Amino acid sequence: MQLALDANMTNVQAPAERCSSELDDIDALVRTYRPRLLRFVTFSIGDADLAESITQDCFLKAYNGREKFRGDCSVNTWLTSIALNLIRDQQRLQKFRFWRQARATAIDVNDAANFLPSHESSAEARILAREQTEQVQAALVNLSANQRAIFLMRFADDMDLSEIAQTISMPINTVKTHLHRALKAVRAQVGGTH
Amino acid sequence: MNNHLSEDQIDDLLIGDLAAEPTAHLSSCESCRTRVAAAEAPIASFKAVSLAWSERRSATLPPQLVRTASPAWHRHAAWAATASAVLLVGIAVPMAKQAARSTPVAATAPLAKSSAQSGVVTASVQPAVQPQPAGARTVAASYSSQDEQIARDNRMLQAIDRELDASVQSPADAFGIDPAGSRLTLHGRNAPVQNLD
Repeated sequence: MQLALDANMTNVQAPAERCSSELDDIDALVRTYRPRLLRFVTFSIGDADLAESITQDCFLKAYNGREKFRGDCSVNTWLTSIALNLIRDQQRLQKFRFWRQARATAIDVNDAANFLPSHESSAEARILAREQTEQVQAALVNLSANQRAIFLMRFADDMDLSEIAQTISMPINTVKTHLHRALKAVRAQVGGTH
Repeated sequence: MNNHLSEDQIDDLLIGDLAAEPTAHLSSCESCRTRVAAAEAPIASFKAVSLAWSERRSATLPPQLVRTASPAWHRHAAWAATASAVLLVGIAVPMAKQAARSTPVAATAPLAKSSAQSGVVTASVQPAVQPQPAGARTVAASYSSQDEQIARDNRMLQAIDRELDASVQSPADAFGIDPAGSRLTLHGRNAPVQNLD
């Protein structure tokens, strides 16, 4: 019994150690988190090309600063907070055009609807999904930067409220307020319910 | 009494902040579940389509991060290697200079100079320092063997020239003309200078 307990104790890694080893393998890190992170950055700033650059910077920054990662949050939360800071830096420096000026290079997700798993959805369902996506995308344009980021963290990345509050350094009630406003705007755009 | 969920409660549910009582109502009310599903659908579509888009975009990108990411230990190793190389050069150059001063003959290798006019390689040995009597015999033997080598090289070059001259047809051959009384060599090195006057 004691031996089994010892074996379990040796096999269990501390969260920080486990996450640190995950951060050491940059290939695996990029493979695992790049699509989600790229989506977050892209729909936060509305410029797909710049989003790729920021996403790459984010991974480099995470990899180079992996020693500072203490493991008190998930790697996804940590990466999202780095991406958020990079987005804010870009906004401060006005290096990119904001959503309202970025319509010329708007993200074309229409094609992506065709890549949805066909066994899960019919052709009609994919057309509907495309239309709904365009409506949500249009609604995101009119949100504030914080509302948009919080909306994406909650509904695209499935982060819970405490994770979002930690990532964006806001009280949880402020996060809820932003989420309510964002959700009302999106639902109004999509279905005219509000 | 109407216990159906309000729009705010549906928002709360989507956000993940719904109280216990409306949650209990939802489990027993088909109408409210339909409304919640209708509210969720566009967001779920956005989530799925945007993820499909970003996965597709990520799949087409070259994996250049690994090349651009330079780990700290790589940088440190590069700095250490550079410092070691500089240190080695700093030690080796003064030692080599000192060795050159102590053995001047070894440092003054004979120079081989080719003559463009004659096409003959001539030995031009000009030692900077007169050899010491003790090593004079060795040096003389070395020069003698180099002279022989140069002579062999000259003979080989002349043979090559002759071979090439024989294999190249002059355009004048077709007319049976010998423009200069003799065929020009390919490189003009061994040809006698013609008087054009």
